[in-house]
Amino acid sequence: MKLLLIVLVLLFTGCSTPVKRSFPDVPEELKVACPDLIVQQQTTKLSEVISVVVGNYGQYQECQIKVDTWIEWHKQQKQIFESVK
Amino acid sequence: MFLLSFVPDAVLHLVVVGILFTGVGIYALSFFTRFIPPLIPYSGIVRIVGTVLIVCGIYFYGSYSTEMSWRNKVAELEEKVKISEAKSKTANVEIQTVYRDKVKVVKETQVVIQERIKEVEKRIDSQCTIDTEVIKILNDAAARKVK
Repeated sequence: MKLLLIVLVLLFTGCSTPVKRSFPDVPEELKVACPDLIVQQQTTKLSEVISVVVGNYGQYQECQIKVDTWIEWHKQQKQIFESVK
Repeated sequence: MFLLSFVPDAVLHLVVVGILFTGVGIYALSFFTRFIPPLIPYSGIVRIVGTVLIVCGIYFYGSYSTEMSWRNKVAELEEKVKISEAKSKTANVEIQTVYRDKVKVVKETQVVIQERIKEVEKRIDSQCTIDTEVIKILNDAAARKVK
């Protein structure tokens, strides 16, 4: 039984691929999650409300760029990965 | 065959060619044994040993060729992987540069717009007063409900 196991292990190690491929690295900035939206402090001034809304628009746009970049990263890396056959 | 991958190419080639030529040598020797009286009884055995070694040598040579063909394929694949990893790193640098440039534009635009708000701050604040309920509605809409 032991001999059979040793033979099987030897045979199956023959099936392992000798070429190792590592998962591509992702730029550090893309690993950071999008922040929560800015919360408005109690105020009666429209300028303060607009300022926060504009800040949130900015955050959304940054997050949008991040998602677009992730899509582009995946597309390019997939293309590179599939070029190796 | 897997264990053969641990043996260097040159050693493998030497062993295979060695077996083949030893076989040929022994087989050739079997023809001369008939001229040496003490070796005549062994002539048949020597020829059989030579034939077996030749057959084994040819078989091993075939196996060696197959092994070499696989090793070449592996080397080729390793080279492709190396190139693809370099390409991947270059693509990452390009993506990172484009991302930073785009974020920079957004941040610069934010600064400009905040400045514009400051310029008209007094005018818009004098024309409109915000109800406290508006702030509550805005904050409820901005709050993250699902984590």
